[in-house]
Amino acid sequence: MNTVIQTRGLEKRFGRVRALDGLDLDVEAGEVHGFLGPNGAGKSTTIRVLLGLIRSSGGSATVFGRDPWNDAVELHRRIAYVPGDVSLWPNLSGGEAIDLLTRLRGGMADKRAYLARREHLVEVFQFDPTKKGRAYSKGNRQKVALIAALATPADLYIFDEPTSGLDPLMEAVFRSEIATALDDGATVLLSSHILSEVEHLCDRVSIIRAGRTVEAGTLAELRHLTRTEISFAGDGIGTAQLDAIPGAHDLAVDGARVRFTADSDAMPEVLAALASLRATGVTVNPPSLEELFMRHYHDELEQPAASSLEGARR
Amino acid sequence: MSTFPTLLWLRFRRDRVQIAVWILLFVVLEVIAHAAVTETYGDEAEREGVIRLVILTPAILMLRGTPQGTQPDAFQYFLLFGFLGLMAGLMSTFLAVRHSRADEESGRSELIGSTEAGRITPLLATTSEGVILNVVIGALVGGVALAYGAEPLGALLHGAALAAVGIAYLGVGLACAQIMRTSRGANGLASAIVTLGYLLRAFGDATGTVQPDGLSMEAGWASWLSPIGWGQAVAPYTHQNAWPLLLCLGLAGVLLAVSIALQSSRDLDSGIIPERSGRLHAPRTLAGPLGLAWRLLRNPVIGWVVGGALFGAFLGAVGQSVIDLIDSPEAQQVAGAVSQTLAALTGPGAEGTMIDLFTTGLFALVGALAAIAGVQAVMHARQDEAGGTAEIVLAAPVSRLRWFGSYLVVGAATVAAVLVFAVAGAVLGLIGSPDVGDRVSIVAQAGLAQLPAALLIVAVVALVFAIVPRLSIGLGWAVVLAAVVFGQLGGLFGFPDWLRDVSPFTHTPVVTAAEVDWTAAWAMLAIAVAGGALSLVLLRRRDLALGG
Repeated sequence: MNTVIQTRGLEKRFGRVRALDGLDLDVEAGEVHGFLGPNGAGKSTTIRVLLGLIRSSGGSATVFGRDPWNDAVELHRRIAYVPGDVSLWPNLSGGEAIDLLTRLRGGMADKRAYLARREHLVEVFQFDPTKKGRAYSKGNRQKVALIAALATPADLYIFDEPTSGLDPLMEAVFRSEIATALDDGATVLLSSHILSEVEHLCDRVSIIRAGRTVEAGTLAELRHLTRTEISFAGDGIGTAQLDAIPGAHDLAVDGARVRFTADSDAMPEVLAALASLRATGVTVNPPSLEELFMRHYHDELEQPAASSLEGARR
Repeated sequence: MSTFPTLLWLRFRRDRVQIAVWILLFVVLEVIAHAAVTETYGDEAEREGVIRLVILTPAILMLRGTPQGTQPDAFQYFLLFGFLGLMAGLMSTFLAVRHSRADEESGRSELIGSTEAGRITPLLATTSEGVILNVVIGALVGGVALAYGAEPLGALLHGAALAAVGIAYLGVGLACAQIMRTSRGANGLASAIVTLGYLLRAFGDATGTVQPDGLSMEAGWASWLSPIGWGQAVAPYTHQNAWPLLLCLGLAGVLLAVSIALQSSRDLDSGIIPERSGRLHAPRTLAGPLGLAWRLLRNPVIGWVVGGALFGAFLGAVGQSVIDLIDSPEAQQVAGAVSQTLAALTGPGAEGTMIDLFTTGLFALVGALAAIAGVQAVMHARQDEAGGTAEIVLAAPVSRLRWFGSYLVVGAATVAAVLVFAVAGAVLGLIGSPDVGDRVSIVAQAGLAQLPAALLIVAVVALVFAIVPRLSIGLGWAVVLAAVVFGQLGGLFGFPDWLRDVSPFTHTPVVTAAEVDWTAAWAMLAIAVAGGALSLVLLRRRDLALGG
């Protein structure tokens, strides 16, 4: 597969603050890559480096094999970008802003296709394009950028927390529109701090923290790092029998229920053991990124120093 | 009301730098004017001469006010008060809108309004801030007068008049913020009302009646429609009328009451004048960075150009009255002093007829207007960058060169357009005066002469934006202010040559000189082009500086 985005040891300093501190990122052609991290981890900073809006202080970054700072304009012909917090021109209507952004991207070449696509997107996103920019809410401003980005084909879509202002219905619309773009062979980089969004959409994920990559891989690979949560009714089951369940961790008897976690790859043995115990009322919670996320960020909560990075995003 | 002190503190905290700058500006201008009166017009006979001439010159009455005798403090009041009133008006309306409609637009009011503060307390806190600021400035200005030897009651009324004018316009600002849906609209309406107040007063003063002593005037009816006119009517060193102050305070009170009534009855984020809905599709012209820059700046640019044309027409029209004046016997004896004043405005080496000196002298102010208009256009790039709209444009295949270059082009074109329309206005105003051909030629040269300096200032501001983006708004306007004060007004204020030489305007060719020397103009033009180009190169090399 072709690498679309690659960074190695990427650094960005704002004065004394290190916003990026050795960030590695690989995005392959045709995939939806989730870029996960809490607020202030450096997601937006990375994206701005990849767009050549700011220059890295160290390390390397390439987009389509080219330098994002020197070849910014050339690269932007292939990229559609939706910022996390969309600002519009106060006296331009939403429709005007969409047309303007499309023209800037050269998307008016096939005007008829564009207009049809725009009309479709305006309808599915339930967007009123005749209001002035200042009158839109955060979600509606985001829709302007989303419609402009999706109305003309691009090779790479970069979304910075795209659904942070959208309701669940609009999130579903967004997902199906992304699917259409992927059918056309596009690549997507999607930053988020919402795990369910990433789990729904992404093939591979990079998790960053304090400007550094801490985990990267496919969802399946990452799930291997997490455990499945199991509980069942524990009536009449003795401690010895519980201890015999292979691969059980954090075993706890909570009133009438027994809870434990198991490594995801140990599940066949665990289920066999549960069957032999004739366990009833079994619930199995699939492995989620949540746990992984929490594990990586848990100690951050105990290090208030990291919160100073919040200021670095601005 | 327990939230009131916190909200008041918040306002002073947000405005601390601006407040300091405004206070400094008022005090410095007041000091300079007192010093100038003592130095330039220290002699009673000199003051008398100037007043006799001024009474015959509507143009100067319009710019200054109505003279009230030769007493030095009254003379100083006549020279400066109208201008200070205009400044106090702009300061107060901007303050009112900043803490009402602008807050509402940005969503800060929603945050504050959801607390115990509710709807009315923030409005009262804004009012209090404005009143306190105006009273402080009034006290300081009165204090300066006192320090320069004014009698105490006069100085008190002097300060009170300025504070009262500011407070009246504070009410105007609050009401405009209620009526308009956006802070831009509110600021536009409010500053238009302040300017109208200044112009009404200008008209009233120019049409005033001369008193029997021949050294003082009573303003015409139009001045009574303007808070600045009321402030002038206080005449703190002669008539000592306190009652026009009540007009100011009464207007402020009525407008505050209206604002409170509107504020308590209307929805958050709504205005009295409804918002029109926008276009479904972008017009053909809105296709690239240049089309975008033009669209964003169109309305203000048209405003500046119309302002330039009107000013030019005014210059041309009053030119005729100056010619009449020169022929009158009263003028002959003081013509020398006036020529001197006009020459100070025009620049060293100015000679020629009085009318030419007058026109070119006032064209220096058109040059300042053009520079301000151009700088405002270029400065919009910073608003675009800080507000985040530049990010989505630059993430499209648009180079920094095309993006900022568009603003530079619109800025330079604005400078040229303001000058061209001012010349055109002046030509229209000159129709009917004798020797039209010569007049038009001088006016056209005077307009053209302003171009290099104004463009150079725009280029300097562009460099500031490219090098220190976060400081560009404050530093940019400081550059303009310094250039105008040191250059255009440096002669009037009697600043030393080295300080005046700092300003590009000082090097503007003197078109009434026997031999017009355009060398400096070409040099400034070359520097302006080089500066603009350098700003584009430097911009390419820096990070996009978002926010703040």
